[in-house]
Amino acid sequence: MNTKMKQFADASMGKIASLENRLSGVLRPIKPRKEFVHGVAHHIQTGTQAAFVDRIANWHLIAMLIAGLISLAVVLAVVGRVLLSLLGKNRTA
Amino acid sequence: MPESEEQDTLLRASQGDLEAFGVLYEKYVERIFNYVYYRTGNVHDAEDLTARVFYRALHHIQTYTDRGVPFSAWLYRIAHNLVANWHRDRSRHQEIPLSDAPTIHYKGEPPEVALMQTQERDALLGLIRHLPSERQHLLILKFVEHMSNAEIGETMGRSEGAVKSLYHRTLLALRDELEDSDLEELTRQPNASRLD
Repeated sequence: MNTKMKQFADASMGKIASLENRLSGVLRPIKPRKEFVHGVAHHIQTGTQAAFVDRIANWHLIAMLIAGLISLAVVLAVVGRVLLSLLGKNRTA
Repeated sequence: MPESEEQDTLLRASQGDLEAFGVLYEKYVERIFNYVYYRTGNVHDAEDLTARVFYRALHHIQTYTDRGVPFSAWLYRIAHNLVANWHRDRSRHQEIPLSDAPTIHYKGEPPEVALMQTQERDALLGLIRHLPSERQHLLILKFVEHMSNAEIGETMGRSEGAVKSLYHRTLLALRDELEDSDLEELTRQPNASRLD
């Protein structure tokens, strides 16, 4: 029984070791293109992309603010209409 | 770069010194690119997201505070968030197109064996890409960056023991996935698992 267990454990360890070998063959460091690396470095040095990101971030913020205000207005209108409707019913009753 | 020097560079970068940020960029761009590449599976998106990681880092570096974790951990967190958004924006996980995969030369192998190796490689990468993101991160740090468990622990904010345990569980899960897939059959062919 113990021998079988040992064989099973050995086989399992062997599979794990084989898997590690395959992973080291598949997951290898990859060099990014030089043009890409230099291009981003240039943008960083000049700060152009950062300014663009800033604008995007501001634009998103403004859009979210406007959407929030519109949503709030809709909610207030619905609540107001419901209240008016309830008051109207009370008066007629 | 010694740790004290990096701290100094970080300080200058957080005060708006673009040159200092450029030094950090040069140091970490390959690591972030590799992380994003293996998480997305194609070079174009990896370049786009890597650039965005550094633009975002530049935008927020003034708010960066040293909490004893490496700067790379902060960058990896940004990269992780961007990759997660990227996956969310896509309806399905993208596999590596063969034409886009970096070429690995199998010297002296006949074409059919080389083809099998490429298929095995793509299939294995596909399985890895279906693992939870934390496990993918661990494998990338381990095999691409050749980090020790202690270094991975620092980067991922876990103890060395926890990393060791997660690594073991990841290998077991991957082994089970392999056994369930046709890939195991493929790799049983002679010479198919020898990558040079």
